[in-house]
Amino acid sequence: MFITKDNCKSLSDKEIISKSIEELDYFKCLYERYGNKLKRYITKISGFNADEADDILQNSFISIWKNINSYDDSLKLSSFIYRIVHNETISHWRKLKSKEKRNKQFGMNMYIEEDKNEDKIKRNFEVKEVLDKLSLKYKEVLVLKFLENMDYEEISNILKIPEGTVATRINRAKKAFVKIARSKNIKF
Amino acid sequence: MSDINRFLDKIKREDIKPKPKWQFTTKNILVWLLYFCFVIIGSISFSVILFAIQQTDFVLLSHFGHSKLELLLSVLPFLWIVLLVVFILGSIFAIYNSKRGYKFTFSKLVGFNVGLSILLGTMFFIAGGAGWFENAFALRAGFYESIQNRKEKIWQNPEKGNIAGIITKVFDNYIEIKDFDDNIWQIGIDSAFIPPSVFLELGEKVKVEGVKVTENEFSAKDIMPWGGKGMRKKIREKMKNRLKQNK
Repeated sequence: MFITKDNCKSLSDKEIISKSIEELDYFKCLYERYGNKLKRYITKISGFNADEADDILQNSFISIWKNINSYDDSLKLSSFIYRIVHNETISHWRKLKSKEKRNKQFGMNMYIEEDKNEDKIKRNFEVKEVLDKLSLKYKEVLVLKFLENMDYEEISNILKIPEGTVATRINRAKKAFVKIARSKNIKF
Repeated sequence: MSDINRFLDKIKREDIKPKPKWQFTTKNILVWLLYFCFVIIGSISFSVILFAIQQTDFVLLSHFGHSKLELLLSVLPFLWIVLLVVFILGSIFAIYNSKRGYKFTFSKLVGFNVGLSILLGTMFFIAGGAGWFENAFALRAGFYESIQNRKEKIWQNPEKGNIAGIITKVFDNYIEIKDFDDNIWQIGIDSAFIPPSVFLELGEKVKVEGVKVTENEFSAKDIMPWGGKGMRKKIREKMKNRLKQNK
């Protein structure tokens, strides 16, 4: 069945899920809707290059497909999807980290190229530089909160931690971020 | 081939199917079943600990001089304490792995599960289930010595001034008791403190503190009820009857 972008646009997240279970081609609507966002998210938290991010995204979507029946519709679909993508990314990141094969610089370039404005590029570069110095648990909450604009509940559902812990972690992460930025003479 | 079609193609080519819903439902049900089992076993363990505390003769701790630690170690229900800790940890693990378990902080999970085990355990203990369960467990588990057995051993110690048993005869200045090894003892009660909760009647199980005089004679300083399941109720009823008779 051929599904156009317009077909996808008219469907809600829940409709995409229920239609995908009946007809696999509808599943690509999820990719249409979330693919780019998720790819950016993978890059932001891991520093992976575009090819690696693509691979992770592919694997994540296959994992989403396998686990589609576990989707609990009391959650936002984005939380369900981000959780799977997050777990895929972290597990890939840990595997590579143990082998020390990560190429942060490449990931950083790809991340910066998204914006043409010179000031913004500079600012993005600085943010990325500081984020990369943060531990993963701080980096992931800051990315979800301030770059993905998610609320505490969504972050809690993605990272599977209590909302109170999300708030505490964001608070600590902000302090750590400022400390690192100051040490590098970067002003925010 | 675009990214968007690559994964769809892989799914089709490898015929990857979504896991069926029943697998997730079953997992969820199993997690909750496991949780309830853990809570129930944890609660029973707590009730047996309460039973062990109830059966402990704290008065002996102050009398035992150099061997207080020894007595304490002999009466502490280690097995049940370990089981309580293990099953509370198990219940925390199970609830954490439920669908929304991650919403609770670790302290809340600990507090809730400990509280639930204490509540259910206390109810089971008050209902009299702890003694029954512990006894049944001791009968089936060969390695385990029941709390009553351990208590009897502590009180089967005339050399150290402790003896207990069932009253077989009652006289004005002495009673006869049959101890747990079926020995008959004549217990002098002239200088003994006998609280109102003790009924010197045939068939009563009592504990006696005092001094061994000969191989079958004992001079009592204190006589106490044996204690145990339903003992308080029994004592209350007997005291009521005694008061009625006095009127």
